[in-house]
Amino acid sequence: MEDEPVIRSATLDAPLSLGRPGTAREKTLDRERALDRFLAGIERRAHRIACVALRDRAEAEDAVQDAMIRLVRHYAERPEDQWRPLFYRILRNRITDLQRRAGIRRAVMAFWSGGSKDEPARDPIEDVADTRGRPDEVMEGEELLARIEAVLATLSRRQREAFLFRNFEGLDVAQAAVAMGCSEGSVKTHYFRAMQVLQGALGEWQA
Amino acid sequence: MNEDEMRELERKSRAAFDASVEAADAATRSRLARARATALTELRHRGLRRAAPWLPAGAAAAAIFAAVLWQREEAVAPVAPGAVAFEDLDIVTGGEDFDLLGEDADFVAWAAEQAPDGVG
Repeated sequence: MEDEPVIRSATLDAPLSLGRPGTAREKTLDRERALDRFLAGIERRAHRIACVALRDRAEAEDAVQDAMIRLVRHYAERPEDQWRPLFYRILRNRITDLQRRAGIRRAVMAFWSGGSKDEPARDPIEDVADTRGRPDEVMEGEELLARIEAVLATLSRRQREAFLFRNFEGLDVAQAAVAMGCSEGSVKTHYFRAMQVLQGALGEWQA
Repeated sequence: MNEDEMRELERKSRAAFDASVEAADAATRSRLARARATALTELRHRGLRRAAPWLPAGAAAAAIFAAVLWQREEAVAPVAPGAVAFEDLDIVTGGEDFDLLGEDADFVAWAAEQAPDGVG
């Protein structure tokens, strides 16, 4: 076994151990590389999910960056298989914060402009441009996604989260429960209801 | 909604989402990469803090020490160094300084004569 490097001190009886050279640094570098890989693999999907939830690209970028920083700051030492649900838990909390602030902003604006936030809701599907008839398959996918996003905006927050995490991000029920901070049964219920609403809203269009 | 319809909707919506993720523009990709790099600097800072936990306290102590030194400099040396040098020159070259020294010598001699024997 290789001896550890030591310093012979003039004032200490016992030699001062320096530890294995580079061990802690290598460990940090390994962790940094693993985190880099993880974040690089997840960042675009996370950003897209945040865009769907917030409907604002700049806010979505801020939310993703905050989630990255918080994950690195607080959970870098956790096992790698825990990073994904933890990352989405952090992102979800950030998104919820931003949605609350946006809600307060809207309420204040409605108050000062004399309007009411209880105006009758428009049918979100009607707001999506109708591109049916185009032969382009990509356009079909984009169109479907736009319609799904419009329907998701009408769902409860929990139902929307369940759909985003389970369907778009592909988290399993247990991971989605961690991300949403609720029970697995609750995830299943919210997801099923979200699917029912989507099927009802998109069924006719899909046919 | 039957099971098949649900599976089909799941499949289609996931495919549409995946395609939109792949279609992310270069500017968005670049901003996300920068965000990732920013987040990873946290890890380096944390590593540094762990390797040298005394560093923040040491830096704070050094800053306080430097501040105290600076305050003392301000209090002790209110006059410009050049002015002090001129004052010293005045004392050294002034004729009355030698006269004063002579008076002191006379006084010391006189005091020695006045002292009673056996005293001191």
